[in-house]
Amino acid sequence: MENDGRRKFLGVCLAGASVAAAAAAAYPVFRYLAPRSDAQGAKKIEFAASDLPEGEAKFFEYAGASAVLVKTSAGAVIALSAVCTHLGCIVQWEKATQDFLCPCHAGRYAPDGTVLSGPPPRPLAKIPFTVADGKILVG
Amino acid sequence: MTDHRQTRRPYLRGALAALLLASCALFAAPQPARAAAPEQPETVCIQCHGTLPDRLGAPVKLWRTSIHSENGISCNACHGGDPKDAADAMNRARGFLGAPKETDIPAFCGRCHPGVMKDYLASAHGKKLGMGGPHCVTCHGNHQVVKASLDLINEKSCTRCHSFERARAIRDAMQQTEGYIVGIDRRIKGFQAEGVDTDRLGKGLFAVRNRFHTLFHDVDVARVKAESAQINVELGKLDRDLIVIEQARVKRKQAGGFAIAGALLLAVLFHLMKKTFD
Amino acid sequence: MGLFKRLYDWIDLRIGAREIVKKELTGYLLPRNINEWYSLGSVLLVIFALQVATGMLLMVYYVPDADKAFKSVTFIMNELPYGWLIRLCHAVGSNMMVAVLLLHMLSTMMMKSYKSPRELNWVTGFILLTLVQGISLTGYLLPWSQLSFWATTVATNSAAAIPVAGPYLVEFLRGSKLVGPPTLGRFFAMHVGVIPVIIAGTIAAHLFLLKRTGISTPPFGAKDAAETGAPWQPESYHYQGHPGGIPFFPNYALQDLTSISVYFAVFLAVVFYAPNLLFTPDAFVPANPFQTPAHIKPEWYFLANYQTLKIFPSELLGLSVQAAAMTFLALLPFIDRSPERNPLKRPLFLVCAIGGILLWLGLTIWGHFS
Repeated sequence: MENDGRRKFLGVCLAGASVAAAAAAAYPVFRYLAPRSDAQGAKKIEFAASDLPEGEAKFFEYAGASAVLVKTSAGAVIALSAVCTHLGCIVQWEKATQDFLCPCHAGRYAPDGTVLSGPPPRPLAKIPFTVADGKILVG
Repeated sequence: MTDHRQTRRPYLRGALAALLLASCALFAAPQPARAAAPEQPETVCIQCHGTLPDRLGAPVKLWRTSIHSENGISCNACHGGDPKDAADAMNRARGFLGAPKETDIPAFCGRCHPGVMKDYLASAHGKKLGMGGPHCVTCHGNHQVVKASLDLINEKSCTRCHSFERARAIRDAMQQTEGYIVGIDRRIKGFQAEGVDTDRLGKGLFAVRNRFHTLFHDVDVARVKAESAQINVELGKLDRDLIVIEQARVKRKQAGGFAIAGALLLAVLFHLMKKTFD
Repeated sequence: MGLFKRLYDWIDLRIGAREIVKKELTGYLLPRNINEWYSLGSVLLVIFALQVATGMLLMVYYVPDADKAFKSVTFIMNELPYGWLIRLCHAVGSNMMVAVLLLHMLSTMMMKSYKSPRELNWVTGFILLTLVQGISLTGYLLPWSQLSFWATTVATNSAAAIPVAGPYLVEFLRGSKLVGPPTLGRFFAMHVGVIPVIIAGTIAAHLFLLKRTGISTPPFGAKDAAETGAPWQPESYHYQGHPGGIPFFPNYALQDLTSISVYFAVFLAVVFYAPNLLFTPDAFVPANPFQTPAHIKPEWYFLANYQTLKIFPSELLGLSVQAAAMTFLALLPFIDRSPERNPLKRPLFLVCAIGGILLWLGLTIWGHFS
């Protein structure tokens, strides 16, 4: 019967389309559940320890955003994100008071990043770094 | 239709009518309509001054449409005092500052906006403070402070003291960059409304925008032009990031088109198959 | 093919599969004048299954903690491959579920399929409507955005109008005086565990009742009077079959599949081209208990309720009116006892039904613009 032929043809088309649809649905689910490789590390940045005098801060770019390296008058070295946690302005290092001041809304941070006063809700994010052979490697 | 059902009906109808009448009676004691009121309390400053007439109540109305109000910054943030206790709200011993004198205005605003204050005090405008020169309130207002834009530099405002030529020069120098910033802001907001994580981009734009607007307070055209170049480079970076997102979005839409076409194809095939059985 | 037959025979020998297939599929006869509206039930089953599947996938990465919830959803939307797709399917799907459910209710109401002996089907269906509203409400809070937080605050506030127990009821619902971390905890448990299980059970009851009573015949489109079925005689139970009807499998099963495919086309169109129909910008700002956004509105299917509460000066009156309307709808099979099923022959019913629908639509549109 003509219908039989039509049915077989449609059956084949449907089988093919259904398999394609199932694959199209399964692929995103697989990718979604698959374990992710560790977040790509940002390129590390190197500084010579002598580049950073005591009581001074050095601003640079790290992972696409502003960052700062500080050597306190006590000699400790700290690497922080320089993006203010309030609304995103870049904080400035105040040599006189040895702390960070955000020019936008006067958020103030200690050299280790903790909030001293003003609107910032969180401390400045710390960035990992290592010191070896007179070199500071940030990242 | 059959008799035993008919006799049961009046009871049910009666019960429903009683229910409706009872619910009417329940609200005989009028209850105040409960608006979807904000759960956070207003400062005592607003609670009191909001009810006062004329000069004492006007600032509240102005403040309500300000960017400070939008961000939860009330009277005590600038004027000091205790925002929760009406007794100490205007107590100088508790930090209340009152209204600043004209020469104290930049320091008043500069407590939270130090960057702008520094540029202003070093500028030609700042040097004329207290001698007929403009201060923060002159251009920005004091209570109805809105988000800063280039519109603040206009003929009506600037010609209060001098010709518009100088102001126009600065405004023209800032126009292109401002347009770029506004465009990027709009695109970021568009993406945020679609669920894109615009945190880094939004913060980056905010930082650039503030740096750019702060520039004006120096009222130095040469400096504006010089720094604008650097600012445009930063804006270009944000632009490129946005373009990457836009391209990903286009790809999604294309994939979506295929998916929808596939679903429609399945529908047609199923329908045709059904017809072979009819 | 020989292998399939051998496998089928092996199973048939153990559970009588052929008999089941004959009874439930190829031998399950449906009325000849059945129409496309009858496939909405299976569409709803597919939607529910998809919601459960996407919900489970979201649960792999979502964190039900007030401090982490929003970030986890942002992570799903931005960092995870195809996370945006899973999330959007779940959000759009929930709206589609309500929309298709309303269409299903509309068609059963218009074709009077709630009449004897099918009253319990209508009642279980009504219970499902309430459960779906509940699961949508609880799910709305989980992203912990400004929209989630404040819409839940407004929605739970309305219970305060109930006399005597009102304020305590609100606190009980929220788990604390104001919406907060306790609210998230209980809403998550309800949304993910409690309500889906009850929905599944109610669906099972709904389907059992359908199969046991027999599917109804549409009250029109029949070739002759006999096909609309004789009026039900309540002397004793008997299954309402349709001798000479069309087999469910493969005939109507294919109609079901066609409707499901059409649904997917519409569903995917919204997911890929208009997801913002359902999201306001506030949906992507983290919840701030100290700042109420300017225009908080509930989802479209609650707009009529929202507008009703705004119209009446007393919130209690507004709630009572809605409760009365819902009660009336729930008890419809017990109020409308006439055996006549063709809506065109029941002018009073038609006027009330169309009036009610227009009122609901009007309130929804008004609620959207107010």
